[in-house]
Formats: sequence, C-alpha cells, structure tokens
Amino acid sequence: MAWEIGGQRPRSLVYQTAMTINQAPMNANLVVRSFHTDEDRELSDLESRLMLLGFLHGEVIRVTRKAPLFKGPLLVEVRGRCVALSADEASLVRVEVVL
Amino acid sequence: MIPRIALVGMPNVGKTALFNKLTGSFQRVANFPGVTVEKKTGWVTENGVRVLEVIDLPGIYSLDATTLDEKVTKDFLLKKEREASADLFVFVLDATNLDKSLYLALQLKELGYPLVIALNLMDEAKKRNFELDLDLFAERLSAVVVPTSAASGDGVEDLVRATRTALSRGNQVELKVPENSQKVFRSPAYVNGIFRQIDVLLSEVTISKLKPDTFSERIDRVVLHPVWGLVTLFTLLILIFQTLFTWAAPLQDLIEAGFSLAGEVATALIAHPLLRSLVVDGIISGVGGVLVFLPQIVLLFFFIQFLEDLGYLGRAAFLMDSVMRRMGLPGKSVIPLLSSHACAIPGILSTRVIDNHRERLITMLVIPLTTCSARLPVYAILIAAVIPDIAVGGLPWLRLPGLALFALYMLGFGSALAVSLIFKKTLPQASPSMLLMELPPYRIPKARNLFLTMKNKATIFLKKAGGIILIVSIVIWALISFPRTNGVAQIEQSYAADIGRFFGPVFAPLGFDWRITTALIPSIAAREVVVSALSLVLAVDGENEQHMASALAQQFGLGTLLALLIWFVFAPQCVSTFAVMKRETNSLRWPVLMVTYTLALAYVFAFLTRQLVLTLS
Repeated sequence: MAWEIGGQRPRSLVYQTAMTINQAPMNANLVVRSFHTDEDRELSDLESRLMLLGFLHGEVIRVTRKAPLFKGPLLVEVRGRCVALSADEASLVRVEVVL
Repeated sequence: MIPRIALVGMPNVGKTALFNKLTGSFQRVANFPGVTVEKKTGWVTENGVRVLEVIDLPGIYSLDATTLDEKVTKDFLLKKEREASADLFVFVLDATNLDKSLYLALQLKELGYPLVIALNLMDEAKKRNFELDLDLFAERLSAVVVPTSAASGDGVEDLVRATRTALSRGNQVELKVPENSQKVFRSPAYVNGIFRQIDVLLSEVTISKLKPDTFSERIDRVVLHPVWGLVTLFTLLILIFQTLFTWAAPLQDLIEAGFSLAGEVATALIAHPLLRSLVVDGIISGVGGVLVFLPQIVLLFFFIQFLEDLGYLGRAAFLMDSVMRRMGLPGKSVIPLLSSHACAIPGILSTRVIDNHRERLITMLVIPLTTCSARLPVYAILIAAVIPDIAVGGLPWLRLPGLALFALYMLGFGSALAVSLIFKKTLPQASPSMLLMELPPYRIPKARNLFLTMKNKATIFLKKAGGIILIVSIVIWALISFPRTNGVAQIEQSYAADIGRFFGPVFAPLGFDWRITTALIPSIAAREVVVSALSLVLAVDGENEQHMASALAQQFGLGTLLALLIWFVFAPQCVSTFAVMKRETNSLRWPVLMVTYTLALAYVFAFLTRQLVLTLS
C-alpha cells in the first residue's frame, strides 16, 4: 500500500476510535494516538517513560500477550521491542485499530 | 592520579558485563553517598598496575530522571566537580537494540559530551544478520565507536585504548545544558525530535537489518503462557526455596561443625576459664553466627543473578505483578518474600531486584514477619508442649501439630501481606510505581558475572553487617556470663536475669515470668537460642525435645505457652536482620520502625492469645 513506501503512517485508514491499549484486541495493528495535543507540555513520569519505550504518536504497535490472574499486565510489541506494561499503564495510551 | 571513566547506558545493554570484563576482579561495591543505590568501582590494570578507574553507573533511560537510580546517574553526569564525576564517560550501546539505546546517546551528544561509544553485543547482532556502516555511524554521532562483546571479550582492549587516547587529548567538556532542563527533556516535542533523529540515523547507517529475535519469542510461548508460565515460575520458586532450606543446610552444618571444632580446640588450649569462655562462647560462636548465613546468601544470589542474566526476572515480574500489586507489592517481590522463609538476611539483601525504592522498602519492612527457618526449632518445642499429637478428621496422616505449624506459616505470611497493605497506604510516594519495562531477549548467563555477584554480596554482608552481629553476640554473651559466682556463670544470677526480672512486670500480662524474659534476651542474637536458654533456666536437657516439651508444659500454663508461640511469630529478631536492614536502607529509621511495629504486634497478639485462652478455659 502507498503509505508503506514512504514510511508514512496510516493516518487516514483508521476506523475505530476512543480505545486504550488494555481494551484493544490482541494481535491487531494499533496506531498510538496519545501525547499529541500539546507538544510543549511537561509529561508525567509515566508518560515520559512510555514515550521513551516507543509509544509515540503515530507508532504502530501490537498487543502480543496478556498475563493471567487479576487483569494481568500486557506485552506489547513496539518499535521492534517487547514491552511489559500493567493494565493501569496501558490505559494511559489511546490507540486506534488499523484495518 | 589515575584517570576516572564512568560507564553510562540504558538498563540491559550489557553494561555490567562489560564493566566486569574491563576490571576483572579489581572491583569494590559501595553505595552512592546518601542513597542506597549501588556504586561499583573497579580498575583496569596493565601489568598489575592500575591505569584506569572505572565506575559502573546505574542504568538510565534518559536525562529526565524518574527513579532514584536515574537521579544518581543524572547528577553524576551533570556535575562539574571532577571529584563527584568522571574525566570521561563511556557510553554503552546495545547493538541488538540501537533504536532504544541511541536515545540517551543523542541526548548526551546534544549536550556536548565527547563520546566514546562501546557498541556492545555486536557478536549477537551479527548473528542476527545486522550490519552497519561503522565509520558513518561514528561520524554522525561525532564519537569514537568501538564494537565490543562483553561476553567474549572482543573489542574490550580496543575500548581501553580508545578511552586512553580520548583521555590524553584532554578535551574540556563544555556542557550546553538548557535552562529548566527537566521541562525541556519532558516535552513531547523534544522526545519526538530525538526519535526522528534516531530514525534518520538508523536508515542512513544500516546496511543489513536486524532479524527479529524468534528464539526468545519461542521460549516466551511457554514461559509466558497463562498456565505453563505459572507452572514454570512456581517450579523455579520451589527450587530456590528448596535450595535455601535444604541444600544450604549441609554447608551451614559444615560451618557450624568447623566452629564447634575451633571451640573445642580453644577450650583445650586456653586454661583461664573467663578468657576461655570469652573466646569460645563469645567470639567463636559470634563469628560462627555471622558466617552461618553465607551459604544461603551466596546460593540465593547465584539464582537471582542467573535468572536476571537469563532475562527471566522481568518475566517473573510480568506474571506476578497484578497479584502482588493488590498487596501493595511489586511483582518482583515474590523472590525476596519467598527466600525470606528460609532466612530474612538473604531475603532483605535480594530486595535490590526491586527498582522502586518505596516498594523495596515496604518489602524489606514486612520480610521479618515471614517464617524464617530459625523459628522452626522454637515452634517445634512449643507445639510439642501444647498441641496434642492426634489425627484430624479421622485421617491418620493429618496430625494436629502439622496443621498448627502450617497455620503459623500462614499467619506469618498473611500478616506480612496485611502489613504491606498498611504501609502502601501510609508511606509517602516519591516516584511512581511502574511495571513498565522492556523484556530483554534471553541470553545465557556467564559464570564470571555470577561469581562476581556472589563474591560482592558475601563481602558486603561480612563487612557491613558482620561487625554489628559480632558485637551484639559478644555483649549478649557478657550479659549471660556475668557476674560469676566462684568463677562459674549461673544464668539465673546473670545480668541477663536482672534485665529479665526488671522487665517482668511489663511481660506479666502475657504470662511471661522472669525465666522466659531472661531466655528471650539471648534470642535477640538468634531466635533458636531461646530453646537452649530456656533449658538452662529450667535446668532440663535442652537437646532432648521430649523432656524439654514436658518441662515447659509442667512449668507454664497453656495460655503462656501459646502466647509465647504467637510472640515468636511477630517479635523483632534477630539482630542480624536489624543490621542488614540498617545497611540496606542506609539509615536507622527503617530498622527502628521495623522493630517497633513487630514488637507492638507481638505484644498485642500474645496478650490477646493469652486472654482468649484464659477466657475459654
């Protein structure tokens, strides 16, 4: 598809909105839709760490695993790495499913 | 003066392995001033002469520090005075994860640091088909780049050479730290900007792309599986527990046998009775009391470092985090909490696996409530004295004493969890509690790293905690050995008994008379000593469990003995736990809090137990 060639992220091919990582389906391609409202505001500790691990606006990520027992943490593939985050932390990142 | 360099890098880039390779066994572990963040210092030697001092800074994600470890590294990087900083920073990159590890490198480059970069894990990256234009990479970063492999040692000599060349150039660092740097580093615009630079840089220098790590992926299919993952985790935990509980025992027996042999030799050699008693009962048994912890400490750290280097520790945290967090504890606390069922000392030392300092503190504070193995002999005698050995529910193999022992374990563990919930609600929160972390790929642990960890932990324990333990042991020996009548110590006339009688009224509501309070004094050194101390005050053979139990049952009421049993579930002991906690928290405040709250719990619950028994009978 056209957007794959220039490294452009699929901004227009998004259908579902208003969802956070912990609500997203497993193994679906998700686009991160966070941290973009105000480019110069100060990030919280958690937001800052999330960004450093690659949860950037427009990044395509995938939930690969969920831990068992009491709403366990999630494993997310982001920028080629495997990041573990708790359900609470996952609820901070808004995503949209790419179809 | 020997030039000083510091290793900087993100967590899990093989920084410590590189440090170990650079410095060999010439290293020293201490804390950074004022905080309990581990500071490793080592020396690069050339023909036996120290030529470089190397500091291994805690792993850091970026200069906007969130955790205490990161703040330490950040301060170290931004300090102007050489005494508190280094002449040169060597930046360690993970070649298998450049995307992540470049962030900090680019940040430092922007601030104007002259960079010497160790491109670590290069052998692994090559195996995964990764190739890059090294010269262009170095040019773009305006840095000296040395490919290294801490595992094989490739490139380590080149790194030393490059470092020394850079040092001899003596470039003055002109740092361009922006005003209100924290705010700048924390803005989405800044973070996005650096990631855009990374994207551009990587697309320029990559010749052949890194293949995905299918090996780790395949292992994770089992290890992180909802069922098999938990089976794996609990198998490992049971293995660790077994090791500490049973397999460390022969080594501990050996140490004890060695010290009792030394005691016999000293007894034969020293004629003077008082001097003999000091050497045999004070010093030798005191030193023995310190050394007896070593097998458990060394074995536990072998396992922990093995699992850490393997990449498993983060996965264990992933599996347990949601469960433990309900109790106010992080996922990683399962290992310290479980280990402390063998002994609180290795348990407290192992809380260093917990990154968040508040959670680490809570774990340390509740560890003394778990049932350590030193309570077992005490429980055994007291259960034998009060609990009749009868079958329960018509099942011949299910006996009441066994159930009582199980109940005591559960009481200890349950109260540890309950107390941690209370601390979670009351202790101030400095940095956010996060699970958020990258799971590293699986790697085979290197024997050298394991050995150095074991050696460092043993040294820390002996140097920092051993002294206090030894001194207290000798003081307690003096309390039960003086004053002497006709050159013989009588425990009922000793200073310990005076103290016991003095505190008698305080403990009267628990049903403890002076004999019990006197016996409790030496148990401050080690819990199990209460058995032999009681046998002394009761004048019965302490080695014979039957005699001991029936003597206790005769001399004391049911209420008193049950109160004593509950006392030992909660009571603050032993002095070694106190000493290790003081060292690990770098303050008196936390160990004092631990002693105070456990003492209060012990007193209240022992009192309630006795009142309950008295009311019922």
